[in-house]
Amino acid sequence: MEKIAAKVREVAKQALASGAVTKILGWETGEFWYDASPVFITDEKAADSLIWDAFCVTNLSKYLIKELKTTQKIGVFLKGCDSLAFNQLLKDHRIDQEQVVIYGLPCPGMIDPEKVKKAGLHQGLLKVKRSGDELTFVTANGEKKVSSRSFDYDKCLRCRYPNPVVYQELIGEEIVRETSNEDRFADVSALENLSPEERYDYWTKQFSKCLRCNACRNVCPACSCEKCVFDNVAAGISGKATVDSEEQFFHIIRAYHVAGRCVDCGECSRVCPVGIPLHKLNHKIMKDMNELYGTYEAGVDGADKSPLVTYTLDDTDPFDGHRQGEK
Amino acid sequence: MKKLAKSKLFEVWSIIAKEHELFVPVEQEGESVNFSLWQEGEHVNLDHLKTNVSPKQIVFPQTETYLKFKTTGKKLSLENVGGKQAPYVLFGVRPCDAQSFALIDNVFLTEPVDRFYEERRNKGILVSLACSNPEETCFCQAFGITPGEAPQGVDVATWDMGTFLLWKPQTAKGESLTNQLNGVLEEALAQDEQDCQELQQDIQQKLKDLPLAKIDPKQITGDLKEIFDAKIWDEYSSRCLGCGSCTYVCPTCHCYDIRDFDGGKAGERFRCWDSCMFSEFTLMAHGNPRKTQKEKFRQRFMHKLVYYPNNNEGVYACVGCGRCMDKCPVNMNIVKVIKKLGGEKA
Ligand code: SF4
Ligand code: SF4
Ligand code: SF4
Ligand code: SF4
Ligand code: SF4
Repeated sequence: MEKIAAKVREVAKQALASGAVTKILGWETGEFWYDASPVFITDEKAADSLIWDAFCVTNLSKYLIKELKTTQKIGVFLKGCDSLAFNQLLKDHRIDQEQVVIYGLPCPGMIDPEKVKKAGLHQGLLKVKRSGDELTFVTANGEKKVSSRSFDYDKCLRCRYPNPVVYQELIGEEIVRETSNEDRFADVSALENLSPEERYDYWTKQFSKCLRCNACRNVCPACSCEKCVFDNVAAGISGKATVDSEEQFFHIIRAYHVAGRCVDCGECSRVCPVGIPLHKLNHKIMKDMNELYGTYEAGVDGADKSPLVTYTLDDTDPFDGHRQGEK
Repeated sequence: MKKLAKSKLFEVWSIIAKEHELFVPVEQEGESVNFSLWQEGEHVNLDHLKTNVSPKQIVFPQTETYLKFKTTGKKLSLENVGGKQAPYVLFGVRPCDAQSFALIDNVFLTEPVDRFYEERRNKGILVSLACSNPEETCFCQAFGITPGEAPQGVDVATWDMGTFLLWKPQTAKGESLTNQLNGVLEEALAQDEQDCQELQQDIQQKLKDLPLAKIDPKQITGDLKEIFDAKIWDEYSSRCLGCGSCTYVCPTCHCYDIRDFDGGKAGERFRCWDSCMFSEFTLMAHGNPRKTQKEKFRQRFMHKLVYYPNNNEGVYACVGCGRCMDKCPVNMNIVKVIKKLGGEKA
């Protein structure tokens, strides 16, 4: 990834120097070996701080909604999942393609610092380098090579689009990865096999952990309302009490609101400070939609229509054709 | 000083739980560690340093009902609820979290005193546990906390000595808890205290080697206005998502909101945590004085590093637990802010 990182800096500098864009959105490093945060750059010299490593996990697309209100032309680095988010934002008319230059980054997967810590490999760790599926842990006492797959974020292990689906310029070579839809929905099948009561208990327990911090919502590219109903004081449902009913209400609204638009980027589950597996909710809805209306993947195409906003006469009737509306 | 053999922990917890609610750091399967009610068979984790959510939630719960109201015809009836009934013991609090209680005390226990909070504080017995192995995101020392020493104000301070905990009561409440455990605790030997000294020195050494050892907010120069107008607020807030993760896992954040559940003829008034990062925070009838994320972001750090110390004899409203560092979805945090403001030793 280091060679690509050099190219990232190169591309950013050129774009700023030539005036092709007035701002660049990428990532920069911070205090720790896992530290990468989004950064806006306007000065060519500052582009030296840009990085591309195994921790550039934050999705940059969502920032565009706000940014494009004041920036005429911005250059942004997008991974596979970020590019799906980009397409969805386009389709939802949240951003204007004309104002953005996308530099696509084929992504080998991002490392979950928690998994490294759990394995006890973080002691004295200075840097983690990634090359394909090989990681090098650099400490003061030397280097150690391991396979990356046991440290990848869960969402990256499920990744279907490591290569950006939309871009003006691709940086680096495309990545080849096998993925299957069966694996993708395995977590849902496991839940579907439980009784309704068991499922209810499962989710009640999960949601009762919710802090209502809104990280899942704020990071989500499908949650792009200018004013969320839960922030609307006049609506009287901001629901700040941590009681089961409020938590469930929040999550059911969110899950249904992103239905058909969720690009399965996995950011919601990643950022949840209390580890609620939100992707399982989204997967359940996707799986049902696929079974009802045929396979559809939000974000893959920037122009097609989601089955939930179209109607054809031969559409399945969910209360008739699909398990007769059973629970 | 006393000592408590680890093999007797279960016995001690059983005794305590008879007359108190007992909160311990519990690890749930495949999940994080959090303070929760002790029950037989729970996996208590005394090695884990930072619980996922801070124990602040016990003295200052995320949601607390104050009042229930009901109308019958033209009559309105009110019922006071809330407050803490049962005495409780909080076992295994880390020095940073213990200090966070003292910081919140400054807010809630000065006039006008918050009665519910006061009641919760009075009903609680704090048993702290020194940190033998500070983590790389720990920077409590920047705020004058020494994680090897007995924190001021806790009722009983303990140290993990391998096979036993060294047990030092520090207050009347601590003494009385110790008396209740007389049959199980043993007298500590001179050698044990000697070993504890060594442990403390070892911890001091480890602190020196931590990556954030040089963080020092006292190095921040400039008056309130200069810091308020600093450029970093634009730069850093542009990355902030405006979620409340950092504020909700923080042991020292204490902003709250008061809301009603409006059930038509009956309802409840409750207090709940709020977050300066939220859009409707400080929303008033005329509008919101903090309109953009920049102002909200700035508030969080100005509060901790400037306003609070200005009002509390220079004490900062951060204990360096590093939770916000672990939880921010985009890796923004107070350390980055302190560094950028020049708060680092040479
Ligand atoms: S989901 Fe895919 S594209 Fe996104 S960070 Fe993980 S591996 Fe990269
Ligand atoms: S709901 Fe979660 S997975 Fe779906 S788009 Fe939003 S953040 Fe991504
Ligand atoms: S990120 Fe997690 S804790 Fe925060 S609101 Fe979403 S589900 Fe709740
Ligand atoms: S600001 Fe961060 S480091 Fe400081 S007390 Fe809060 S969570 Fe801990
Ligand atoms: S956790 Fe991070 S993104 Fe969320 S409000 Fe705090 S600083 Fe901003």
